[in-house]
Amino acid sequence: MFEPVDDAIERIARHLRRPVRIDPALDSRVMREITTVPQPGGATLLGATWRWLRRPHRVTLTPLGGLAAAAALAVVVLLSRTDSQSPAPPQTESRAFQFVLVAPRATHVSLVGDFNDWDATRTPMRRAGSEALWTVVVPLAPGRYHYAFFVDGARWLADPSAPVARDEDYGAPSSVLTVGGGGS
Amino acid sequence: MTSALTRTALPLLGAILLAGAAASQQTDPRLERLDAGTRPTVAALVDSAHRALLPTEPLVQRALEGATKRASGDLIVAAVRRLAVDLGRARDALGSTASAAELSAGAAALHAGASQTILAELRHARREPLTVPLAVLADLVASGVPVDSAAGAVLSLAGRARDADLVEFRRAVERDIALGAPPAAATAAAATATAQIVDVNAGARQQRPGRP
Repeated sequence: MFEPVDDAIERIARHLRRPVRIDPALDSRVMREITTVPQPGGATLLGATWRWLRRPHRVTLTPLGGLAAAAALAVVVLLSRTDSQSPAPPQTESRAFQFVLVAPRATHVSLVGDFNDWDATRTPMRRAGSEALWTVVVPLAPGRYHYAFFVDGARWLADPSAPVARDEDYGAPSSVLTVGGGGS
Repeated sequence: MTSALTRTALPLLGAILLAGAAASQQTDPRLERLDAGTRPTVAALVDSAHRALLPTEPLVQRALEGATKRASGDLIVAAVRRLAVDLGRARDALGSTASAAELSAGAAALHAGASQTILAELRHARREPLTVPLAVLADLVASGVPVDSAAGAVLSLAGRARDADLVEFRRAVERDIALGAPPAAATAAAATATAQIVDVNAGARQQRPGRP
């Protein structure tokens, strides 16, 4: 009435071992269906932008255009380098310092130092009151500065009221001014 | 495709390389004041310091000082190189967070004879900027105060004294030395007096009534 169990199992196994035939057009049909499925965010501007960014594009550029792009790149690089090398911008904590020199026989005196690129033309001193007194006021940020007075375009004088710069490398005298933070 | 690549990409690449090379050789325009023989060496030193993340402004200023004072090129290069080395040593002692002003003052202190150990101890002793303590240390040593005396005095004051107190301390030492006091004794006396003033001021601040 019933087949033996082993025979039934053997028949099922034979059935399962038979090779399965798959339609050769299945792959193309599946891929076609996939491409028709809408992508997440596909309808939005963001989705369109994202698809545009991922697609390869061909860009044509003339040599002149290439040179212009390179020139723009160079300008950006140069500007960034100039910014990094320029002196520190004036800080809000800068304080005004008055420099004074007594030089009765001088006809022209300049203040020259780390704060004005050692440029003798940039910070001329003015006579104040008496003929002998030369003075100028300069805003300075905290730091340690070397400076000197340049008299009549020929003589270097240290500031008699300030410490002398002992780390002077060039023979001509210089003075040192230390500007602290708050309270100095 | 190949010809299109040749027409567009290669000129673009060449131009970019040329621009990059030109940019890399760009030097600080202020260094134009140096003579043609000195400028490249100083520019290379400045560029090297820039790559090492050291402040370059002190180096430029030292070079410009030499140019204005009509120093020889060799002297200028030697001065800039020495300062670059001192800035590097100061950074090693004070740490990478030290400001440009601190490094500059630290370099001056090292050049005056202070050790890197002293700079490191100062860093631990004071939370506020070290520019003034380091500058005072450099000035004291340069004034003839023995390094140990100057460092001990500045270290004892650095933790609690304000910048103004330290500047006044230096003035007192220099005044006493000018009046004939031995530098070490002048430093010790001024340090004691300054410490008393600092303590009195601190006590007065503590006794002020608080705000309602």
